[in-house]
Amino acid sequence: MKKVGLIVNPVAGMGGSVGLKGTDGEMYKKAIELGATPITPQRVEDALSLIKRKELYFIVAPDQMGEKYIKKFNFKYEAISKIEGTTSAGDTERIAREMLKKGVDLLIFVGGDGTARDICNAIGFKVPVVAIPSGVKMFSPVFALSPYAAAEMINSFEDRFIEKEVLDIDEDAFRENRLAAELYGYLKVPKSTTLLQGKKESSNVTQSEEHVKEEIADYLIENLDKDTLYILGPGTTLNTIALKMQIEKTLLGIDAVYNGRSVGKDLNEKGLLALIKKHNKVQVIVTPIGGNGFIFGRGSTQFTPEVLRLIGSENIIIIAAEDKISKLESLRVDTGNIDIDKSLSGFKKVITGYKKETIIEVKC
Amino acid sequence: MLINLQANENPFLPPENVMEAAKKGLKNINRYSELEYLNELKQLLADYNDISPQRITLSPGSDFLLRDIINTFSENRKIITINPSFFSISHQTLKFANKLIKIQLVPQNFILKPELILYELDNPTLIIIDNPNNPTGAVLLDENLIENILQSPNALLLIDEAYFEFSKQTFAGLIEQYPNLAILRTMDKAFSLAGLRLGYLLAGDFFKNKFLDFPKFLPTPTLFAGIEALKNPEYVFENVEKIIAEREKVKEKLHELNIEVFPSKGNFLLIKSNAPDFEQKMVGKGILIRSLSEEWLSDFYRVSIGLPKENDAFLLAISLPHKMKG
Repeated sequence: MKKVGLIVNPVAGMGGSVGLKGTDGEMYKKAIELGATPITPQRVEDALSLIKRKELYFIVAPDQMGEKYIKKFNFKYEAISKIEGTTSAGDTERIAREMLKKGVDLLIFVGGDGTARDICNAIGFKVPVVAIPSGVKMFSPVFALSPYAAAEMINSFEDRFIEKEVLDIDEDAFRENRLAAELYGYLKVPKSTTLLQGKKESSNVTQSEEHVKEEIADYLIENLDKDTLYILGPGTTLNTIALKMQIEKTLLGIDAVYNGRSVGKDLNEKGLLALIKKHNKVQVIVTPIGGNGFIFGRGSTQFTPEVLRLIGSENIIIIAAEDKISKLESLRVDTGNIDIDKSLSGFKKVITGYKKETIIEVKC
Repeated sequence: MLINLQANENPFLPPENVMEAAKKGLKNINRYSELEYLNELKQLLADYNDISPQRITLSPGSDFLLRDIINTFSENRKIITINPSFFSISHQTLKFANKLIKIQLVPQNFILKPELILYELDNPTLIIIDNPNNPTGAVLLDENLIENILQSPNALLLIDEAYFEFSKQTFAGLIEQYPNLAILRTMDKAFSLAGLRLGYLLAGDFFKNKFLDFPKFLPTPTLFAGIEALKNPEYVFENVEKIIAEREKVKEKLHELNIEVFPSKGNFLLIKSNAPDFEQKMVGKGILIRSLSEEWLSDFYRVSIGLPKENDAFLLAISLPHKMKG
């Protein structure tokens, strides 16, 4: 018997139809005033109707955060916790933590990027999630492509998981048509395998995500130069590299290493500029963020045009697992400075494993 | 019963005489295949390709030849190949190779930029490319690029021409001139012998000399069917023309349905669909196609060309609104 948690953000997605670009904070009240109707019930029920797995026991959030939908089906469940009045981000986090204590094997949540952040805060890597998309903003690759895909994951999850990013954008900026996505963390999702692969053309043996990261790290470390300042961008692959180099790394920040020693942590633009000016040889190691392949301009805005100009496009090392890079048509840059963007564009090599590289175009 | 359009197989059976020959091969399966017949098959392949029989190496499936080539030639070389493609390059091989570089092909045209390969030829390199490419159906190579590659003393070039009978383009004519060129072929596709597995290599001198001492056995049913097929290959040309005509018909119909489809020189088409869970929905309608989202871009699918009625069933399925399969 698998214990599965279910948390629904009942107001997620309401801003979309009335042009509000999100319902974070108090914005959902405005959405209701503008005549928005909830879209989550349909999403939850679509997904629940496709769950065929027998040995599931649901632990659900109360009322419109979960129980309201599941009771229409024949699942075994118990509702936990209480909510008073309107629901909030605080409720999502609190109930997610309670589910953790109840020992859930998987947590299903329904919402958008904001909800994903709340879940990420509450549970981190402790249990895997299935994220059913129902928001206005869904930039986070953590979301399943559809309720069908989500149900498929729930039906088949066992013990193979991959990590996906939780991104969120600044809603105020988004309403002004500026896109500023930041990386907020990572969640684990079940690795779904295509059930209907061709008979002969099996792809190469798939390796675990952790193994690929270690390969990239080993290959990179073997090829590091002495007397060079290495600036490490955000991301878990960079974390693996730092771990192998036996230095501490901030997961979402930008850190620097020189001859095996940490010389800067969680650097901002000012800190980066100061360090770069002190060193003759500087290289940046970055990994693309999200499903859209941004290497600069999303997720790590500390790499400003000025920082990148000083570093020079020839000193950028890009790393990414092969199965991430092979799904992209190009890598992207959007630093806000077109000259810098152009200098970073063109065909680049990406390190994808031990002695493995992929050539792909960087576009602006 | 599902219609299988996911493995680029030939939908037509080979003629009766070829199947009879395979059965005849069963009569002596307690014995190894005889050299006399192996030489006969080589001579027939030499005639078919207008090349010397000494340049031909036989194999039960071209993937084994590919594996042998990688194992034999990757030591201290870079391997360059492309994505998407279905070459299986094992982890083991990379222990000996300097590195593996994949060039990512992207829509709309899937062009292989010559400079991306030519810039890499500053040290020993084994380049492996399928032409036309599976799964895009695009022709990636032209004579100019190939000669530029082959003129580099650092380059070894292996071209997989599995779909040559459909594309009608081959570089076998350059084999005599360039010792560093080899071409992989198969009788799985156009000759309708996928279940018997018969691959062969056309080898330039450098490849040929290293392959001289490789074992030369084939299963006798495969050997006899191959000989019979090559003695009377007219069925191949007829079926290829039928498949090409069907391919173009399907492509036109997909255009009419506003489904994005790309030009192909193989026995398959590459299509794009943004419909979520498209592959599963097609299965729900009885059609197996090949999703490429595992190894390449999401939303892209490869559809093999089947019998006319199978293609019609596919077109009907894709034209109906997609309902969720419960």
